[in-house]
Amino acid sequence: MISISPKALATGSDTTIEKKLDLTNLTPEQVALDINKLNLFYGKKQALNNITMSIPKGQVTAFIGPSGCGKSTLLRSINRMNDLVDNCHISGEINLHGSNIYDKHVDVAELRRKVGMVFQRPNPFPKTIYENVVYGLRIMGENNRRRLDEAAEQSLRSAALWNEVKDRLHESALGLSGGQQQRLVIARAIAIQPEVLLLDEPTSALDPISTLTIEELINDLKKQFTVVIVTHNMQQAARVSDQTAFMYMGDLIEYSDTNTLFTTPLKKKTEDYITGRYG
Amino acid sequence: MNKWFKSGSPWIWLSAGGVSISLISVLGLLWLIASRGLSYFWPSELYQFELTDQHGAKSVVIGEIYDREQIPVSQLAHLNLALDPEQEILERLLIKTGNRELVSLDFRWLLSHNIQKTQTPKDLVVVERRTNGNFYGFIESVVVDGKEVDKNKLSELLTRVDNFQEQIDDLQKSDIGAINYQLERLRLKTRKYQLQDKLTPELQAQIDSEIATLNQEYALLEQELMGYREEISRDHIVMRAMDGQLVTINFEYILKVTFNNQLNIIEKTGLFFSHIASFLIEDPREANTEGGVFPAIFGTVLMVLLMTVIVSPFGVIAAIYLHEYAGKNAFTKLLRIAVINLAGVPSIVYGVFGLGFFVYMVGGSLDQLFYSENLPSPTFGTPGVLWSALTLAILTLPVVIVSTEEGLSRIPSAMRHGSLALGATKAETLWRIILPIASPAIMTGIILAIARAAGEVAPLMLVGVVKMAPNLPLDGNFPFLHLDRKFMHLGFHIYDVGFQSPNVEAARPLVYATALLLVSIIVALNMTAVSIRNKLRERYKMLEH
Repeated sequence: MISISPKALATGSDTTIEKKLDLTNLTPEQVALDINKLNLFYGKKQALNNITMSIPKGQVTAFIGPSGCGKSTLLRSINRMNDLVDNCHISGEINLHGSNIYDKHVDVAELRRKVGMVFQRPNPFPKTIYENVVYGLRIMGENNRRRLDEAAEQSLRSAALWNEVKDRLHESALGLSGGQQQRLVIARAIAIQPEVLLLDEPTSALDPISTLTIEELINDLKKQFTVVIVTHNMQQAARVSDQTAFMYMGDLIEYSDTNTLFTTPLKKKTEDYITGRYG
Repeated sequence: MNKWFKSGSPWIWLSAGGVSISLISVLGLLWLIASRGLSYFWPSELYQFELTDQHGAKSVVIGEIYDREQIPVSQLAHLNLALDPEQEILERLLIKTGNRELVSLDFRWLLSHNIQKTQTPKDLVVVERRTNGNFYGFIESVVVDGKEVDKNKLSELLTRVDNFQEQIDDLQKSDIGAINYQLERLRLKTRKYQLQDKLTPELQAQIDSEIATLNQEYALLEQELMGYREEISRDHIVMRAMDGQLVTINFEYILKVTFNNQLNIIEKTGLFFSHIASFLIEDPREANTEGGVFPAIFGTVLMVLLMTVIVSPFGVIAAIYLHEYAGKNAFTKLLRIAVINLAGVPSIVYGVFGLGFFVYMVGGSLDQLFYSENLPSPTFGTPGVLWSALTLAILTLPVVIVSTEEGLSRIPSAMRHGSLALGATKAETLWRIILPIASPAIMTGIILAIARAAGEVAPLMLVGVVKMAPNLPLDGNFPFLHLDRKFMHLGFHIYDVGFQSPNVEAARPLVYATALLLVSIIVALNMTAVSIRNKLRERYKMLEH
């Protein structure tokens, strides 16, 4: 497990790693997601080439790489948001609990309840803060007021938002600041208790202070969820993640624990990227 | 100069000019309609003109001035007027003289040249009547039960008659109307049993006894009615017309007696508003050229509301299908183009369609299936308010579809994705997120639909509007809302009064007044819809990214 002091988060250095995982040889209990020979095409253009990787449970895994490298596409494949894109074809498999999520009889809505997602820009619904948080639960048919209240409070606490909004739960969510909205969206995602939380550049639309709050939050979240984060900010990846995958032109170039990847990358392309030669 | 062109100012002036012209024409239109329409309600001065025509004959004309016109003398050459040779223009007055039983035309033109003397005698009155229009003249005597009484008692006597009249209206409309309705139902019931061969003597006897009871009630009411009638026809007034003839007017025909020349400005204003009120709440009289337009207001609003209730769900469902579920292929595109083009089809074509499809096919089949006892007289197989609403719903369907679709496509995909990522299905996302956000756009569609439908007359003439509907589509008899009934409509009322009435000249102010009312009603309906939309907009305000 990795522990990062708040001070280290603020400065972005001095991460201490207690125990390294061997990513090529995880036991089934350690694996949250197993991606196997995943190929993805938008029309005729191939966006992901033969990706194989295992994402460990209860850790933060970051995907980094230059724009258009396929990191977001890979993330969206994990909860099948790519299904919404016309003429997107996928081969290979992604296994969650040993069963392929691209299997024919998988209920996509059910899958997305297990694999939550937070997008680049905060997208609260034009409803009250409370209704935003309990939206997923209502969809699941939960209408018991007491249980909804409890879940809302718990999720907002987990998302470090409770203290700021507890007095205005029934006001519009659109009155919140950008950073608060993003935490609200995270609270909304974790209210339905997913196993995996996908974060697609969650701080790219936020100011530095909100970014910091979110990063601290991510660190807390991994106690409960497996977190996969896409970021184009290498410092952020270094600060928040345990494992980092570097992608380039649809290929998975290098995947190892964060410390190794940033200090002693094995591949030339990785080194070029993290030293800022392109990207 | 070149610099001025480059600065863009000419284009600003040009566009500002365009806006001004549109604004001025709208305001001008409203001003014209309002001034002409409202002057209809203003109690105008009553004049007595003493005339001498070119042959030296003298006469007296009493009436209201309706219009003034300047005409060149050359047009009047055939009259051989003794004029000052310098004079080129003469004024001509249009006088409403009323008194239809004495003269065939209640309007006449006077040359101001012939007028010797103009007076506004204080005791000149205008009597508004149920038939034959206004009577202008002097009150000669008031006769109660054959005996002449003091003229000052007139208003008291009029109130008494008004009370009786109200009771008569009540009796006729609600009580006697209800009995007639029940009798008709019993007749249809008998006929139905006959058709089904189930009319047993017992049933027949039962129905007969019911009919007998109703007839008894009817006889009682009729007696009461006759009593009131007798009461109101007891008194009369004798009027002296402009040519000195004496005319007896029975109280039963009198609506109102006004001494217009004795009124001060406050009384006139009061009368003005009471005229407007009676225009709004009364039934029309005299082939629609007098009285109020209440049934037309009621019909217009009811029909528009019915249309809205029908068109909104259909339009929204169609738009959702087109935008969310239909495949993005050439056929969908074709469908969309077809929908948009439907908005361009002339409305009378929809009227023809409505008559052929709704009235004859659907209505005819409904009659065969459910109202066979009433045949050969049709129930739904004839134009009516339901068919009008349906026809206009089809006419306005494209508007609702197009604006709903526009609203759907403006919703950022982040909203859909956010909901889908929380495990909602597409249908749940649509119902809980997309439709509420799109509701202002849907309201815009409905507003446009109302605006279009409320002003449409041509198709309605084929599928349900009539000049004079004896009953409102809504009354106290079960099932209260009678969708099969024909109705009156303000738009058609304007056409009918303005162009089909026996006295076009007399009806012209009424045309303006009705037009003003129609515009106000459409504006009111629209304003309601707009305020609902604004509330929705406020509630589902999108983030400004």
